This record gives sequence, structure tokens and C-alpha cells, in this order.
Amino acid sequence: MKVLLIEDDAETADYVGQGLREHGHIVDLAGNGRDGLFLAAGEAYDVMIVDRMLPGLDGLGAVKTLRAAGVQTPVLFLTTMSGVGQRVEGLEAGGDDYLTKPFAFAELLARVHALGRRRPFAQVETVLRVGDLEMDLIGRKVRRSARTVELQPREFRLLEFLMRNADRVVTRTMLLENVWEFHFDPKTNIVETHVSRLRSKMDRGFGCELIETVRGSGYCLRGPSI
Amino acid sequence: MGRRFNILRGSGVRFALLHTVVFVISVAAVGVTAEALVTRALKLQAGQRVEGEAAELLDEFRQYGSDAFRKLIDAQTASGESRLHYALLGRDGQRVAGEHLVARAAASVPAAGASTLAEIRLTGSDRFLLNLRSLTDGTTLVVADDLGSVDDVEDVVANAFTIVLGISVLLGLVAGFLLTKGVLWRVEAVTRTAEAIIAGDMTRRIEPTGAGDEFDRLATSLNAMLDRIMQLMDSLQQVSNDIAHDLRTPLSRLRQNLERTRIHPATTQDYAVAVERAIDEADGLLATFSALLRISQVEAGNQRVTFRPVDLTEVVTTLFEAYAPDVEEGGRILTCAVAPGIVIDGDRELLAQLLANLIENALAHTPLGTEIRVSLLRPGRAERGPAIEVADDGPGIPAAERDKVLRRFYRLERSRTTPGNGLGLSLVAAIAKLHGAALRLSDPEPGLRVTIAFPWRLHVEATTGQTAPLGSSGTSVSGSSLDPAMMHHT
Repeated sequence: MKVLLIEDDAETADYVGQGLREHGHIVDLAGNGRDGLFLAAGEAYDVMIVDRMLPGLDGLGAVKTLRAAGVQTPVLFLTTMSGVGQRVEGLEAGGDDYLTKPFAFAELLARVHALGRRRPFAQVETVLRVGDLEMDLIGRKVRRSARTVELQPREFRLLEFLMRNADRVVTRTMLLENVWEFHFDPKTNIVETHVSRLRSKMDRGFGCELIETVRGSGYCLRGPSI
Repeated sequence: MGRRFNILRGSGVRFALLHTVVFVISVAAVGVTAEALVTRALKLQAGQRVEGEAAELLDEFRQYGSDAFRKLIDAQTASGESRLHYALLGRDGQRVAGEHLVARAAASVPAAGASTLAEIRLTGSDRFLLNLRSLTDGTTLVVADDLGSVDDVEDVVANAFTIVLGISVLLGLVAGFLLTKGVLWRVEAVTRTAEAIIAGDMTRRIEPTGAGDEFDRLATSLNAMLDRIMQLMDSLQQVSNDIAHDLRTPLSRLRQNLERTRIHPATTQDYAVAVERAIDEADGLLATFSALLRISQVEAGNQRVTFRPVDLTEVVTTLFEAYAPDVEEGGRILTCAVAPGIVIDGDRELLAQLLANLIENALAHTPLGTEIRVSLLRPGRAERGPAIEVADDGPGIPAAERDKVLRRFYRLERSRTTPGNGLGLSLVAAIAKLHGAALRLSDPEPGLRVTIAFPWRLHVEATTGQTAPLGSSGTSVSGSSLDPAMMHHT
């Protein structure tokens, strides 16, 4: 993937840039909002990582300008501003995701991957399929190997999120934000417990297990073909 | 020295002078008025006297005729018994009988009608009040009163008021000065106290005199303000002390860990473990910092702008569903009783966090087998808003410590060893306060019950139905009774 990183702090830029390159991505770096804007307008990137506080033109303004110019590249805001209002501000300005510093690199990577493969104009899907797992979004039914699996509504949402991000790592925080809309870090193992219950319903006793635990990062629902 | 100069230059002197001027003007006005009134009364009296005497003499004239009357006038003048003066003028205006002086005075008065009253001052003598009466034989009777006594009285009154004026100027100045000094002294007391506080003596307060006047009220208010500031400063200091203290422990653990690894270098595996532990420790520190940051953000109260209608029923149900399996796995029971369709104006994220903290708090501080009950109570009578309750039948909190557990970093003695940073309930308190909700800790015997009672005004709507749709989760929860299906969430 081709990633544009707009970050003025050299150390963070180095840390993020090096990490992404190690994972096989091409990273362009801009040290301020104006350079970032120039690069983003001129080249096609898969994902942009934008710091909110930048010298000159700030991240929020840069993204607003890009969106106004019709640039649809997914944007991940990276910031120390952790207030609820500030996150809403970021998303309203045209950001697609929001990550607060300090962060674990695995978290950033997972989010960048999730953003990068998002189809900008995804056709409305009514059935999701991963391997022998099938989810009917309209009938709200899950079948695996032609066997119906009964799920609680929240488990359904959890599985839906995993399936929509199939073959990508999703972190605990991503699940909390997207499945439960929790924007805080619970001290208990909510996610682990729910994933384990989900596994016992749709993943055990079907030959191969689809939900994989990625140590230190999160979970990944993998189709058997890969 | 400078202070004395200030008193002379200050607003006090202006006040004293103004006070004196007003005082003097009013005394002078009283004096002038009094003199005018006295003069007028005395002149009126003199007029009545001369006119009365003339009328009496007129009767005598009618009775005895011209010659006898002439003799009578001369006799009256000669006797000197009366304080009045008499004269009789002929047709030509020359004296016929009586006093020459009076006759001379009367000569200058133009006759007008049967009776004329006139005031005349002769050179080198007193003023006279004359009454001229034309008699039937062509002569004119003159009765005069010496107004010298009126002049005397006027002089006395004028003198008296001049003295009073002098005294009042003196008194005015003295009173003004004393008054000013009194006021300035009180103001000075405030200034001195303020200066002492600026110099660092935060315990100084303004001494009220006990008079109960405006100055005492001012002193009381200022003292109360100083007390409040002191309280805030104390709590601020307390918080920074707590932060410093509570962050030292994990930081020194982190340092020890790294140092040990440096001194005893071993396998790569050992390094990996040490790094893992250091990251965990740093994450813990960062979590503490973000919790603190979050508390102060919430306490700053500028998030009210993010308030919008929040379906509390949905929030409580979501939280219950999220935590139930985990609580169960932790060997405790989570039950839930949710009133349907409760919507308030608030911040969904923060309310979810509030409930999560309460459940986690109950989970962290109770033994295995404890039942944790989460309830959402419908608004009651008397404008009581909806309320969230989280109760457990664990060991509870001693009554004396209930207030303290809301403080940052405060942990009960028996909780020192359990994981946590002592910030959970502080954040709950801050979120409750942001929503104007009352936070109450009580004892359901046994255990701890935390009640968050929202104010009536935040309450948006309450559907009357027995069940309520719960957003995308699609489940519904029965009203006030416990739903067995929810109790054993599998």
C-alpha cells in the first residue's frame, strides 16, 4: 500500500514510517500541512495518516481542504487530543478513523489495513461469505457448512465486523468501538469473553477454526483459501 | 509616613470638606430664615400696637373735641409713660402738639387716606413705624413706635447664628475627619490583610468589628471567599501530591526492572520478558494519565456541548450484555432490571463509561459469588428524574469512607493490593456532576449501592409502553422485574 504520513514530530514519523515499511508499504512523509496537502493532491495514496496538530496548516484544515477538492483517500487522524468532542470534530472534518497517542504500533497497522482495503464505493452486500461461513444480513441468519448458527444480536454484530474485515487483523479497541460503541478501555476481558463465546458457537467442531488470535494485536477471521 | 500622606490626600478629606460645606450652608439658611421670621413678627406686632393706640386716641378725640385732644397729646408726650410717641399736625403739616421728632418724621410721609402706616428712618436716629390718622378738624394724629428694639433683636439673632456657624464649621470638620478616619481605618484593615496574604500568609483574615454594618458584611464575604480559595488550593495540592505519589511507584518499578536487566544480562528470552514488562508498566502509567486527563476534561465541563438525547435504556442494556458473560466467568452474577424507553439529554460515551466503571468497581472489590445488580429506575413522582443503580452484596464501604472513595487515587486499605488506580469512582463522580446528577453511596445491607439520580430537566421522554425497542440489538427488556433470560446470559 502507498501511505502518506503527515506528521511534524520526527521521532513519531520515524517510528511509524519504519514500521509501515517493514510491513511492506511505501511511505511518503510530509512535515507540515501544506506539504501534505501538495503531496495528497498530486499522487494517489491508499491511506493518509494525519497528525492533528501541525505547523502552518493544521491536520483538520488540511483534510477539510482535501475533501472539498474531492480527494476521497481514507484518512486516519493521529493525535494527542483525546476529548470526545475532538474525535467527533475529526470525523466530521472528513476523517475515517481516529487514533489517540500514545498508541501501540499493532493498533495503527490494523487500522491502516482496515482503511486501505475499504472499498470506496462498496456495492450493498446482502450476504457475507468467508470460507464455509455465510451471513445473511437481511434475514440476520448465520450458517456454517449448511448448519444454522444461533447468535445473540451483539454476537451477530461482532461476527459481521470480523467478516467485513476478513483476512485483516482487528484489534480489541476496534471491536470495542465498532461493536459496542465503547470509546474507553474496559479493565475486564469483555472482548475476549465475547469472542470466545462466539467461537464456541460458530467455530468449534467445524474442522478448521476461522477466528485466529493474533498475539499482541487482536483477532483475524481468515478464509481457508489464504 | 506615606500612609498618613495618603489619608490627607485621599477621598476622606474631600468627603470631610463636602460634609462641612453642606453643614454650614444649612446652618446659614436656618439663621437667615429665623431672622426674617423674627423681624416680620416684631414689625407686625409694632403695627398692631400703633394702630390700636391710634384707634383709641381717635375715640378720645371724638369724645372731647380738638382742644382737649391737643392737651391730651401734649400730656401723653410729657408723661413719658408710654413706649409710644405722639404728635398732632396742623393742616399745614406743622406740629400742633406732641414730639417734634415724630412730627418731623411724619412730614416726609405722603398722606394717603384716613390711615397710613409707614416705616421711616431719620438720620442719626432709630427707625420708626408711624401710623398717620386724618382727624375731622383737619389735623393729623401721628402715633409712632421706635423700631430700635427690632434692630436689637435682629442683631442678637444674627450674632447667635454667627457663633453657631463657627461652631458648626469646627464640628463639621472634626466629625468629617473622624468619620473619614473611621472608614479609612476599616479599608486599611482590608488592605493590610490583602497585603499580608500577598506576602504569603494565607491564614490571615479580616477582623470583623462585630458592628454588623456593611464593612462587617464585606469582611465576612471576603473571608468566605478566601476560605473557598484555600479549599480549592488545598484540593489542587492534594491532587498533585497524589499524582506524584501514585506515579512514583510504577515508575520506580519500571526503573528497577530495567536496571536489573542491565546488571544481569542473560538470554534474549530474558530481554524479551523485561521489555514486555516495561511496556506493560508504561501502558499502566499512560492509562493512569489518560484517566486523569479524562477526569479533568469532564470536570472542566465544556463537554456539555456534546449533549444530545441518549437512550439510557439502550446504554444500560448494552453495558449489561457486554459485561454479563465476563462477570459470570469471573465467578460473580450480574443481573439487570431496566425501565423501558428512558431518554435523557447527555453524553452517551461518558454515560457508558460511568456504568462500565461502576460495574468494574463492583467486580474488583467483591468476593466470588457476589451478585451485582444493575438497575435503571423510571422517573418518579415529585420531579425525581431517572436513576441508575449499581448494587452488590459484597463487603461494602464503611460509612466514614464513602466520601473519600470519590477522591482521586483514594483506595480502601483492603483494596491496596487489587489492581486499579483509584480513579474509577472519581471519574464516575465527575461524569455524574457534568450531568447534574446526584451521586449517592449507600448500604443495601450487605454491600454497596451506588445511585446516580439524574435531574428531572435532563429527562427527555419516557414511553409508557412495557417494552422498548433497543436500537440495532433488537432485544427488549421487560420493565421493573428481572428478566430471567437476561440474568443468565449465555
